[in-house]
Amino acid sequence: MADYAHPEVLVSTDWLKQNLKTPGVRIVEVDVDPKLYAAGHIPGAVGWDWTTQLNDQLRRDIVSKQEFEKLNSEAGIKNSDTVVIYGDSSNWFAAFGFWLYKIYGHKDVRLLNGGRAKWLNEEGAPLTTEIQKFSPSQYKVPSVDASIRAKVAEVLTASEKRAPLVDVRSPDEFTGKVIAPPGMSETAQRGGHVPGATSIPWSTAVTPENTFKSPDELRAIYLDQKRLDPKKATIAYCRIGERSSHTWFVLKYLLGFKDVKNYDGSWTEYGNLIGAPIEKP
Amino acid sequence: MDHSARVYEDITQLLPDEENPSPIVRLNRLVPEGSQLWAKLEWMNPFGSVKDRAAWSMIRDLEKRGELGPSRPGRGIVEPTSGNTGLSLTALAGVRGYPMLAVVPSKVPEEKKVLLQAFGAKVEVVPDALCPLPGSEDGTIGLAKTHAKASADRWVMPNQYANPQNVEAHVRTTGPEIWRQTGGKVTHVFTSLGTCGTVMGLSKFLKGKNPSVKIVAVQPTPGHDVPGIRNVSELDVSQLFDPALVDEILEVDFELAYTVAVELARHEGLRAGPSSGLIFEGARRIARKGPVPFGVMIFCDDAFKYASNMLKHVPGLKAEP
Repeated sequence: MADYAHPEVLVSTDWLKQNLKTPGVRIVEVDVDPKLYAAGHIPGAVGWDWTTQLNDQLRRDIVSKQEFEKLNSEAGIKNSDTVVIYGDSSNWFAAFGFWLYKIYGHKDVRLLNGGRAKWLNEEGAPLTTEIQKFSPSQYKVPSVDASIRAKVAEVLTASEKRAPLVDVRSPDEFTGKVIAPPGMSETAQRGGHVPGATSIPWSTAVTPENTFKSPDELRAIYLDQKRLDPKKATIAYCRIGERSSHTWFVLKYLLGFKDVKNYDGSWTEYGNLIGAPIEKP
Repeated sequence: MDHSARVYEDITQLLPDEENPSPIVRLNRLVPEGSQLWAKLEWMNPFGSVKDRAAWSMIRDLEKRGELGPSRPGRGIVEPTSGNTGLSLTALAGVRGYPMLAVVPSKVPEEKKVLLQAFGAKVEVVPDALCPLPGSEDGTIGLAKTHAKASADRWVMPNQYANPQNVEAHVRTTGPEIWRQTGGKVTHVFTSLGTCGTVMGLSKFLKGKNPSVKIVAVQPTPGHDVPGIRNVSELDVSQLFDPALVDEILEVDFELAYTVAVELARHEGLRAGPSSGLIFEGARRIARKGPVPFGVMIFCDDAFKYASNMLKHVPGLKAEP
């Protein structure tokens, strides 16, 4: 069986158990529900709130380079550290955090395969409520990689040219039966999907254990069944950009797509845009 | 224990068993001709639902195993719950002197969240899964498990989704009650699926007595708004479910859970909650296809905890009439 394209960006729960105290390994938890970190987290992990710490608090955007440097410096994370990210919902926002680290040029960032749910159910996988203190570091963003982020103009062009767009939301969001899952505060004026987009719900990529499916299974789904092409520039989107970070990770690092972007504006931007073409079966 | 005078030294003596069963009542106006349908009124249990049975059974088991009680001073109970298990556990925890932390999904009706606090529980609300991975232990189970693992000195989690006591409770009490109350004549049992403790326990006991007893589970349509029960597609959270023990699974449009509950109140004098409405609708459909000689329906709880949901789902009801 062939391996993932970049297996080095995934760590197993067993690996993490053995490296909890390894110098230079730092753990970051990012959850959909920030209550989880306070209730218990992997020893040594810092917890970041995606709403207040990973997004700009004034305009709609990811945190600035300066804010990202401050966040890491305060957590004592160094540029040379191996950062392992995990979270709930099969690593949705952990994948978003991973994508941010890649935008801001961090060398060695990895996802915990299986996320928080897998860790929770394992023997010898400790959780604590203790918040470990670290001395601040001087974290510097070495370079910004904007090539992994799609803006709406690129999405409109891709749609027009029928370039590959992957809608990773639930089938009901794709068809426009619902605009957003019930109870969500971030929503849109219109339902449906970007014309030409292929529906591949994010959960297609994971096993019931929350881990990623095997390379062969992933290839069968994304390449054989859904006919995506690793050589073609591809854009993934969802509602607010976290589920699509997950699929972006799968396409780029597990399947080795050369050019894949996460459109973090996603449906909450696109579905509000005056005049944007929408397909609604 | 003499139940004839209904005098009790302690509320736990009121918990149901073969000697003190929850009542079964025959429905007379809404049942298709040629069938008998009887409702087992679980809201008559001391804390208001079928969950009194599992809660009591799980607590006694934890005490027996030394997980709760004098050997673990200060340790309380944490449990993921859509409300009823939480209410029963909270009341019993209060009686036994344990702290209680209930982790509930946000779609649980306000009434239950308020009652849990009124009964003394600390309540944590978890946003409903917005695009969930089937079987994933996020949400309430994830948070409750996190507390139990990270703060094991403070909390133990009975875990109704995996605890065999949740099934045993019905093998020990509900099953024998029904067998005795029907004089062994029960032919059908209608129930819903949630943690599946009730359906598994009843099937094990009653099929042991008479293998031809039909066990029918009634489920709401997917994407429903009926707290505490599940569609089979949502069942991977339960580790207790064995499909071989269920004869038939019937799907009913979830809105009917509420409108049929109102029908039961208006025509049969039964203050049924939505899951009871759903179960009756399923039983009635089976009875329309052929006679149900002696059907027993588990009416899990009453309508009082669902006023706000009924406003949403029953046309014509108004908060300010």
